[in-house]
Amino acid sequence: MPQGAGDIKRRIKSVKSTNKITKAMELVSAAKMRKAVNKVLATRTYADLTWELILHLLKKIDAKNHPLFRETKEVKKVAVVLIGTNRGLCGSFNNQLARKVAASIQLHHPESTVTDVISLGTKVRDEARRLKLNLIADFPKNDITQDSSSIRPIVKLIFQAFVEKKYDKVFVAYTDFMSSLRQMPHVKQLLPFSTEIDERLGHIIHEKEENQKADLAKISEFIFEPNQAEILNNFLPRLLEVQLYQAVLESEASEHSSRMFAMRNASDAASDMMSELTLVYNQARQAGITAEIAEISAGSAALS
Amino acid sequence: MDKFKLKIVTPERVVLTDEVDQLSVSTTSGQITILPHHLPLISQLAPGEIIVKHQNKEVSLMAVFGGFIEVLPDEVIILADRAEYAADIDEQRAEEARQRAEAALKEEHVDSEQFAMLSATLEKELNRLRVARKYKQKGMHNLQ
Repeated sequence: MPQGAGDIKRRIKSVKSTNKITKAMELVSAAKMRKAVNKVLATRTYADLTWELILHLLKKIDAKNHPLFRETKEVKKVAVVLIGTNRGLCGSFNNQLARKVAASIQLHHPESTVTDVISLGTKVRDEARRLKLNLIADFPKNDITQDSSSIRPIVKLIFQAFVEKKYDKVFVAYTDFMSSLRQMPHVKQLLPFSTEIDERLGHIIHEKEENQKADLAKISEFIFEPNQAEILNNFLPRLLEVQLYQAVLESEASEHSSRMFAMRNASDAASDMMSELTLVYNQARQAGITAEIAEISAGSAALS
Repeated sequence: MDKFKLKIVTPERVVLTDEVDQLSVSTTSGQITILPHHLPLISQLAPGEIIVKHQNKEVSLMAVFGGFIEVLPDEVIILADRAEYAADIDEQRAEEARQRAEAALKEEHVDSEQFAMLSATLEKELNRLRVARKYKQKGMHNLQ
């Protein structure tokens, strides 16, 4: 074998095996993405109905005095929940999210000491640390969030901190799954509750029947059992949980689809590299053969 | 005959949407039965059972754990933390889960938070068991 061709052959082999791995990862991510999207869709009914209920409530009673609706004129301290991933190899997913948060902190509160960051997912934690955000808590994240109970500790933390007036506002930063091709980092206000429905959260192919709205005018008065205050106190944390849960699911769908694309790009790059290397290899081989023939013919010419 | 729309949803899925004749649930203030034209009501659910009478006279029994019920003029919405059909409950596994929870509760080093969580699990599993057994004993047609 001519000089250099052996090395090239070895490289082709290694690129080929990398290609196999990235292809497998792409397929795995595609399957996980489908699963995650289905989950967001399954949760949507619950979330929509939860919102509807709260809107019905707000039309009938004055909940503005409830601590979770408390709006402060001067926003001093803010917390952001950052929902990212545990694993890398998903392009600039975590980086973009952390940057978006850093940018919005810069924009709204230049003295960033007042913004506390709570991270969910190890990669985004590292990213936040790198950007020198004020990290106060980090929660472990499951690769696939099974149910809403896994995010309950975070809900509890921000709920308590908000009620104790440690924070004036709480935001969640997650990656919005717009389609499998487009994901957008998005920062959304969690607390205090705004009375507008956020159409963005959990909106994948949002086809809501408009005519289904219950006729509120017909409802004169709600009966509350056991009483209004207790219902509100128990229901509002649930609402918070649902919102956060949806954000997590949405993030997951985005994570897998962005990993899928990162892997697809890697596979494409590996294929390109392979064909290029094959070309170089063939050239080297050809050159070797030519050189050999030249030697033989030169030798026989010398003999005759 | 009069009927109303019923939706039972959990964060994970939509358990039931149907037009039904009658619905019984246990709330924190006691068991209630809802017939068509019920007054608007919002209440909190207790761990217990949901009995639905469908229009074709069939009856569904479900175990439910926590959540809320909203009664609107022509629609009833149940937002449950967890709900499952009695027929879907695996009695043996529920029994095992109950025993696990009970055993964990007896351990000495349980702080108050864990204790609350374990008692909730225990209550939940007990409820599932109860509903599953009721279903098994009486069959679907004699639940009224």
